[in-house]
Amino acid sequence: MPAHPSEPVLVSDIVRARQTLSTVRHFANLADEVLDALMRRMTPCQFDAGQVICLEGEPGEKIYILEKGWVKAVRTAVDGREQAAMFLRGGELFGDEAVFTGAAYPVTVIALENIKAWALEGSVLLELVQRYPPVAMAVIRHLGERVLYYVQLVEDLGLRNVQARVAHTLLAHAELKDGQLIVPRQAWTTLDEMATRLGTVRDVLSRTLSALEADGILRMERTKIIIFDPQKLLERGRV
Amino acid sequence: MSIDETVRLEILKELTKSLPHASNLRVGVIGGIAHLGGNLSNRDEWGLAEAVAHSVFGVRGVVNRIEAPDAPAPSRKIDLDFLKSDEP
Repeated sequence: MPAHPSEPVLVSDIVRARQTLSTVRHFANLADEVLDALMRRMTPCQFDAGQVICLEGEPGEKIYILEKGWVKAVRTAVDGREQAAMFLRGGELFGDEAVFTGAAYPVTVIALENIKAWALEGSVLLELVQRYPPVAMAVIRHLGERVLYYVQLVEDLGLRNVQARVAHTLLAHAELKDGQLIVPRQAWTTLDEMATRLGTVRDVLSRTLSALEADGILRMERTKIIIFDPQKLLERGRV
Repeated sequence: MSIDETVRLEILKELTKSLPHASNLRVGVIGGIAHLGGNLSNRDEWGLAEAVAHSVFGVRGVVNRIEAPDAPAPSRKIDLDFLKSDEP
């Protein structure tokens, strides 16, 4: 499964790079001149499903902008237990927290499916931030949102039991589709991956979901989770 | 330089000695846990890299995500020493 992190930028890639930047919410209001400056310094890269993009503890030298596909960021605790910190998809970026602090990457990022991304050297980003204040504002907004996300994760893991975490997470990701409240499942959304995100183990998660199914609150399907009773699920999330 | 960074550089040095032909091994260290990535050509080298990292002073555990034929998937869930409980 070869990674191709340093291919030269082709003309066709420039269009792709521009399209990718247009999907990054934090860069939406940047002027064309700024987007061009970013685009010219980005390098395309691809990773196959299962490949490691960056390792926790490695020097944080690049940020990555995801063009297509899902990745997961995991952190290994001192006792060896793995906790998923976040799942990211096209239009999202990671690595900036390491670049701006000069620290190592705090998480290991792994491709969950074949992905396309763009790498930007940290030194280049620092240079662009100094030259273009709107880039600095975009990065500050992104880092601020990341802090808020981690505060929420701490609350989830520290203050809620497993059932409440499941309920809270399902409601946070629920969407109305064809008259049903559902949580879509990606091909890689296995019980193991869900358990890693929820800070538990597969057996405990399986029992929790079975109990919620038995109570008529939801039903697990291969491609989605159908929520029949959001009110009861909300109550289970208040623990 | 942090202790983790010192340990990381020591692991890289030892890997260079033990696997001189390996060109793209990657190492990260946080809290004394060494994370290995990159590619090797066979399972024996995969195991050797892990053993080398383990042998470095200051390493408390090794998460081996190196790609090699017949080696465990780099993306697998890692539990180095996890005690299962109902309410972690």
